[in-house]
Amino acid sequence: MRTYLIDNDKNEIIIDLTRTTVHSHELVEFEYSAVRDNEIVQKENIFVRKLAGRYFSSTDNKRWTRLAKQNLPTHILNVDTIYKVFRGYKPSGLSGGNDGELLTQMPGKVVKIQVEKNQEVKAGDTVLILEAMKMENEIKSAVDGIVKEVHVKEGDALDQGVLMLEIEPK
Amino acid sequence: MTNELVGKTTSPKRILIANRGEIASRVAKACRELGHTAIGIWTDNEIHARHLEFCDEWVHLQGMTNAETYLNIPNILKVIKENKVDAVHPGYGFLSENADFADALKEAGVVFIAPHAEAIRVMGDKATSKTLAKEAGVPVVPGSSAAVETVAEATKIADQIGYPVLLKAVAGGGGRGMRACHNESEIKSNFEAVQRESESAFGNGDLLVEKLIVNPRHIEVQIMADKKGNVFHFFERECSIQRRNQKVIEEAPSPFIGDDEDVRQKVCQTAVKLAEAVKYDSAGTVEFIMAEDKSFYFLEMNTRIQVEHPITEEITGIDLLVCMIQSAFGEDLGIPNQEFIKRSGHAIECRICAEDPITMLPAPGKVTGFETNFPQGTRFDNCIFKDLEVTPDFDPMIGKLVTKGINRTIAIRKMMCALDGLHIEGLKTNIPLHKVILREENFIKGNYSTAYIATIKPQEKVTTQFDYLRIFNKLAGIEANRMGL
Repeated sequence: MRTYLIDNDKNEIIIDLTRTTVHSHELVEFEYSAVRDNEIVQKENIFVRKLAGRYFSSTDNKRWTRLAKQNLPTHILNVDTIYKVFRGYKPSGLSGGNDGELLTQMPGKVVKIQVEKNQEVKAGDTVLILEAMKMENEIKSAVDGIVKEVHVKEGDALDQGVLMLEIEPK
Repeated sequence: MTNELVGKTTSPKRILIANRGEIASRVAKACRELGHTAIGIWTDNEIHARHLEFCDEWVHLQGMTNAETYLNIPNILKVIKENKVDAVHPGYGFLSENADFADALKEAGVVFIAPHAEAIRVMGDKATSKTLAKEAGVPVVPGSSAAVETVAEATKIADQIGYPVLLKAVAGGGGRGMRACHNESEIKSNFEAVQRESESAFGNGDLLVEKLIVNPRHIEVQIMADKKGNVFHFFERECSIQRRNQKVIEEAPSPFIGDDEDVRQKVCQTAVKLAEAVKYDSAGTVEFIMAEDKSFYFLEMNTRIQVEHPITEEITGIDLLVCMIQSAFGEDLGIPNQEFIKRSGHAIECRICAEDPITMLPAPGKVTGFETNFPQGTRFDNCIFKDLEVTPDFDPMIGKLVTKGINRTIAIRKMMCALDGLHIEGLKTNIPLHKVILREENFIKGNYSTAYIATIKPQEKVTTQFDYLRIFNKLAGIEANRMGL
């Protein structure tokens, strides 16, 4: 699962969750990688332990710090910058294309297409699943509208920047 | 009978708290503890007003803006009537220093938990408060008492009070229309420039000459008085760490006064003298500016409970809000004499604000997560909760973090640990700035003036680098929550 963090200046941070291991009812381990220019720049295992209703995190399953429990937020803070959070997809509007044009953000393989031509979709609906870097990414519509054209089919291997789908915004 | 034995009130009153946020909580706690009924207000602009959880009764005040609600005297009077309110506590800000409100309450036969209207009125005006201070023998910043017309007149006054002096616009404010002059020739070269500047900025070219206090310290004295004429001081606080003339970090006692008990006594006695001169009868604060030679001058008196009152409560062990309520009802404060009030140790308060840690500008937003993990003895007066929307309608201060130690070093150590244990997610806060200041050499030595933020620039030392590990941790927590861990 890929998470995009995008600030107001459209600077983009890409973080991949590459593995989830459930150790017990109280302990989960995640493997996170930060990706820049298709290269992993930092990779860490993060343990989350539930203790008396609260969350604590650790990189070594020994040394713990308290975490503020959050639902999936729309934004996340780094000192003096607020990043918008897009979990599993990046709205195409933020990558230069029109709002209704879905382009590949990285090379990948089309696993599943969940919409048909002329179908009505809502912003945030998953329209297509793309497998990239051994992960499935849900590609979601950034707008309410009607599917104007589907340019790819399941099983297609795509390069970066390929137009996959066009949605006519309402 | 039990009530009397444990110091609760024998005549319970209905107290309306005409405020919101952390101070409304603080007042409600004092009311409840004493056995009074705390009545809290919520408005259409803040449906999830967390301060209500400490109030016994909740009243809805219609309206979205502060002008329609917390500042609306007729509406508040209506609420008072409908709810059979005996007394009103104004907190700080809003109507707390409004003499007209004090008059209106008096007319309605309702107790205002504040000083009498005349004290509010006199101290609320810069000119009348200064005149009163002078009459009471309280030192004020030396300078011209009226507008200065010519360079010759200005230099004459400067010779009398001594250089450096400040040429400043009568109508000035916010640092504009002001210039420091260190000798006669500087007065000559600056006089017309400041005149022109003031004329264009404020439409008034009148100038004053005032002694320039180099590296001033902001020192203030907590006062508490009852209705029987007893005026007590609760020692001083130092609030020199400021931005835009607003305090950021406060300490009690003052590290600048330090062990100089003579100066401490002098400042505190002077504050008492001023309070006595207005027949003060509630909680208040006398603010002074202190020069490097520890000479001090009266700035103003705040006729309300102040934001930073907790540090005084911490070093004296006396609940100022409780005293303020008891005083308003003419009750005994339980303080037999000044010597009864003792201080021990050192307390520090960091104001936690929803603002950019570098520009220090307000940054409204939504709190997406909130957790604390504090060292022993930490006090956090706040109204924060997960999903709190911080709107631009109110002050960006969302909490006050207070630590106390047997000495200043330990108070700082505890504060560093407390700041590390304060987790507020989803909006910008000044927590990173506090962490820098608490580790900065001049602050640690207690060697700082009101120019600290402008000259030391701690905000430039805030690390803004993207910290992947920290973000991984946050995302892991979010993911775990999604999974239902």
